[in-house]
Amino acid sequence: MSIEFKKIDYTYSVNTPFQFVALKQIDLNIEMNKVTAIIGATGSGKSTLVQQLNGLILPTSGQLIVNDFVINANVKVRNLKSLRKNVGLVFQFPEYQLFEESIIKDIAFGPKNFGVPEDEANKIAKASLKLVGLDESYLEKSPLDLSGGQKRRVAIAGILAMEPDVLVLDEPTAGLDPQGAKQMMELFKKLNTVHNKTVLLVTHDMEHVYNYCDNVVVMKKGEVFLNSSVNTFFENTTYLDELNILAPNIIRLKNMLKNHNIDVSGCDDIHSICDKIVKELK
Amino acid sequence: MASFTLGKYLPYNSLIHKMDPRAKIIVMMLLLCAIFIPAGFIGYGILVVIVTSIVLVSKLNLKFVVNSMKPMMFMLVFLLIINILVIKTGPILFSLFSLDIYLDAIMQTFYIAIRLLLMIMITTCLTATTKPLELTLGIEDLLKPLKVVKVPAHEIAMMISIALRFIPTLIEETERIMKAQASRGVDLQEGKIKEKIGGILSLIVPLFVSSFQRAEELAFAMEARGYSPGEIRTRYKQLHMKYGDYLAIVFGVLLNIVMLTLSMVF
Repeated sequence: MSIEFKKIDYTYSVNTPFQFVALKQIDLNIEMNKVTAIIGATGSGKSTLVQQLNGLILPTSGQLIVNDFVINANVKVRNLKSLRKNVGLVFQFPEYQLFEESIIKDIAFGPKNFGVPEDEANKIAKASLKLVGLDESYLEKSPLDLSGGQKRRVAIAGILAMEPDVLVLDEPTAGLDPQGAKQMMELFKKLNTVHNKTVLLVTHDMEHVYNYCDNVVVMKKGEVFLNSSVNTFFENTTYLDELNILAPNIIRLKNMLKNHNIDVSGCDDIHSICDKIVKELK
Repeated sequence: MASFTLGKYLPYNSLIHKMDPRAKIIVMMLLLCAIFIPAGFIGYGILVVIVTSIVLVSKLNLKFVVNSMKPMMFMLVFLLIINILVIKTGPILFSLFSLDIYLDAIMQTFYIAIRLLLMIMITTCLTATTKPLELTLGIEDLLKPLKVVKVPAHEIAMMISIALRFIPTLIEETERIMKAQASRGVDLQEGKIKEKIGGILSLIVPLFVSSFQRAEELAFAMEARGYSPGEIRTRYKQLHMKYGDYLAIVFGVLLNIVMLTLSMVF
């Protein structure tokens, strides 16, 4: 079980004036059963990278391995559907993909496409809706009548219903209120810890990276700039400075305290830091 | 989808790109007229040469022309069959299972194919070398004389420009939704017919919803900035006809005269 990128290149609109190299020689291993964040400036190739994962766009050169599925550039790929069942991809603003007349039908659409029988699919749909935090009273409503945040949940439930091993999310919290975003991130963490899923998510929010992710992949101008654990990444301020990223609040607080000679190493949440400060000041 | 070139502006730097949009529109109209004058082989030969050289001068790739013909192959085959069954003039070319095939039937189909090809080449040439905004300005100016008979020139031009502006956006949106549904297991390439129909539905509904939303938002945005179609407004960008532009129009008129003469002679 692994996800490996081997020397993958991807170029948009080859041989037109709009030609654009989005990925350059990507060599990347994604750890399974972990939450991996993919960060980087806009246009750095994050979305292109995640779309490779379920064969929506195929590499112009190189090789991609997802579990036992191998994609080679310029070789016709068969049975992409089985890859797509394994890797669930939630797009940016997924609420635009809702189309059925009732929420239950929309969520069951994915599993039915993969050959799950109707009543089974409906059962999964109900469970998925519960998982994203909406109760059964929503099942028969039209997905188009919901609020933005609720639509997002239903759309994500639609992907969860396919029961993929790998869940890939492209900026899942963009445009959500802080409370909603927090619930979403907690859901993804839960999917990882309780349901053992590998989660990859594209994000711009360093707080989310710090609080919910294990590993981080930094993209820069179509190349992998860094692939490390979240702790190593935030401990090393030279990376953050070079990438012009503002560290999460708690890291900045710790650094400030360090500059004032208050030792808070080993404290990871705000309460323990407070205790330490109180102790130091006594 | 990404290779969809029809109606897309291609930012090259060529003689055609620099022409005044009004002149380009007029010349395009004249060329379209010329195509429909039945001037036989010689006439179409001349037109093919002229139109091809225009495409080449605009630095466009000839390959896209071939590609744009592909979706029309089905129609042409259908047309050929109808023509073979209906047209019974001219010498008999050969017989196929006691069905006589006449030369005129083949010729008719060939002419229609050439006309379609030329039309696509000319219109693509116009849209590929003219920025949508310039095109709108050109259309508006050309429609201005019709204001006397109460034709809303500005409104028509605005509608055209909005429509043109949103073609790439719609294509992008379609691609995005297609990808999203593909990752939910919709298979538009390989699936069964029944699955494909369901798949298309999953594409059309979101597309409609977002188009209506976008239209509403655009209308609000325009209103919020005080847009009112009847207002008299000045322009930042002024169009200027140059010597070459007049020359092109004169050339277009001459071409029509030549075609007319050819059609009368033959």
